[in-house]
Amino acid sequence: MSRRGDEEYDYLFKVVLIGDSGVGKSNILSRFTRNEFCLESKSTIGVEFATRTLEVEGRTVKSQIWDTAGQERYRAITSAYYRGALGALLVYDVTKPTTFDNVTRWLKELRDHADANIVIMLIGNKTDLRHLRAVNTEDAQSYAEREGLSFIETSALEATNVEKAFQTILGEIYRIISKKSLSSSNDSAAAANIKEGKTIAIGGSETATTNKPCCTS
Amino acid sequence: MERKRSDDYESGPLPSPRALDRFGFVKPDANTSEGVAKTNRSAYEYEKIKERRRVRKWRKMIGVGGSDWKHYLRKKPNVVKRRIRKGIPDCLRGLVWQLISGSRDLLLMNPGVYEQLVIYETSASELDIIRDISRTFPSHVFFQQRHGPGQRSLYNVLKAYSVFDRDVGYVQGMGFLAGLLLLYMSEEDAFWLLVALLKGAVHAPMEGLYLAGLPLVQQYLFQFERLVREHLPKLGEHFSEEMINPSMYASQWFITVFSYSFPFHLALRIWDVFLYEGVKIVFKVGLALLKYCHDDLVKLPFEKLIHGLKNFSEDAMNPDTLLPLAYSIKITKRLEELKLEYEKKNGKITRSREISENEKPILPSIQSN
Ligand SMILES: Nc1nc2c(ncn2[C@@H]2O[C@H](COP(=O)(O)OP(=O)(O)OP(=O)(O)O)[C@@H](O)[C@H]2O)c(=O)[nH]1
Ligand SMILES: [Mg+2]
Repeated sequence: MSRRGDEEYDYLFKVVLIGDSGVGKSNILSRFTRNEFCLESKSTIGVEFATRTLEVEGRTVKSQIWDTAGQERYRAITSAYYRGALGALLVYDVTKPTTFDNVTRWLKELRDHADANIVIMLIGNKTDLRHLRAVNTEDAQSYAEREGLSFIETSALEATNVEKAFQTILGEIYRIISKKSLSSSNDSAAAANIKEGKTIAIGGSETATTNKPCCTS
Repeated sequence: MERKRSDDYESGPLPSPRALDRFGFVKPDANTSEGVAKTNRSAYEYEKIKERRRVRKWRKMIGVGGSDWKHYLRKKPNVVKRRIRKGIPDCLRGLVWQLISGSRDLLLMNPGVYEQLVIYETSASELDIIRDISRTFPSHVFFQQRHGPGQRSLYNVLKAYSVFDRDVGYVQGMGFLAGLLLLYMSEEDAFWLLVALLKGAVHAPMEGLYLAGLPLVQQYLFQFERLVREHLPKLGEHFSEEMINPSMYASQWFITVFSYSFPFHLALRIWDVFLYEGVKIVFKVGLALLKYCHDDLVKLPFEKLIHGLKNFSEDAMNPDTLLPLAYSIKITKRLEELKLEYEKKNGKITRSREISENEKPILPSIQSN
């Protein structure tokens, strides 16, 4: 079990929140980490950071989440944060088709800057605005299937599926990591090494790839 | 298009009668006990007496409508500097900001230009601006009312700027600059002050903070990181061990000049100095914050460290202790050297396009003053 101060966890997963400005990334994050929603939230300038520790598949997983500013120009700063991320939540707004159209560009952005095997989940947010919906669930679903992404619709406002979205992506990351540790070696020490987080847990900056102190216990 | 803000302000119904602080921000929670309310009040009274004395001095210095300002400035630049560092009286702030930033001159030399930009031009950024309007100072009463005068003037200023300089257009963060200015002046005045800052009427142009690639943000972060290591070596060491870099906490400081998340009374004091002395003060305040919290910060691990760097204590953010500490940090020469070092590595910051058409009639007048 990894230890950092008074905290204990089996795994530390770094995840990034990306997608166009205004789709609700910061509110999805605040809903997940603090169970808060804010209709009057400020636009994100640069990057924000939050964590939450939870049970995933019977393991204690600490998620370290980077929330980025959505405006295109900010990619100059934010794309550095993709590196080393094990998961990406790519959010669009179900009431704004352009934010869905831009998903393709965000995927390219991930391909250019993130690790090749990053787990990506497509999220259609703001499902509470039923009368304003402009992106079909089915269209998004089949797009996600084509691109090999998992998919879910959420409402940060009504707290619908936010928990589930994180559970799902963290579970997927967990399964990939644990499979890897089995296939790479049956040697239990190697598996334990990964479990400790040495090779998978990532600190903050682009330079933080392997031996971030908070992951090595 | 533009009316006196105060009339406008009173005509519309206010969102809801909630407790406001003296700058018009909605107080987080109205659970102030009697005792707390009282100490606040007496502190407020004291402030007022001090302020009155200061205002008298300042009025003399400025003259009617700013008529004596330039003369005074030429004669006694250091007196001006000292007084500004103590804080510009709130009732004169709007006027003084326009005088020290050079925006007054721009306004006078370009009659009708703002109106033209607001009324007749269209901007590719209009939707982006609208999207962010309600997310700019959402807790300030002036900007809360949907489509109210605050939101309208914020929109106009940002749109006008995005037309005025299409390379910059609109970038998130600019709204906080414009919003802060609009609390102290009309929208046309705010627009020209924005121009003065971004185009560099008095100090180095700020537009590189917002141009594609955010080149000036990158340069400032580079300079800041180095300054931290040089001025606070132990903390600098701790930051690199914990993989903390300034883009995690300081981008907002530069992009919005501390107006995004710092207490408003502190932001105003920083802006007083910023407009007169330039961006140096942003570095100094940043370093002063780190210095003040140094002994706590060096003990914190990664996550708590990030949290600490985004949530400084009330204590640390008291302008009357933080600013003197900031003034005591000397960085001018080093800042210049680090800039050259950065340019050597990354090339000079240049604009992607030559001066755009809109600027032609305006820029020469900036340089001539
Ligand atoms: N109705 C509804 N509104 C939402 C929901 N999630 C977010 N919003 C609102 O949408 C606006 C933008 O939300 P943010 O969380 O700030 O968006 P963001 O993606 O972080 O935007 P940037 O920081 O600019 O990249 C805010 O006014 C939120 O209150 C939702 O699930 N339902
Ligand atoms: Mg955000």
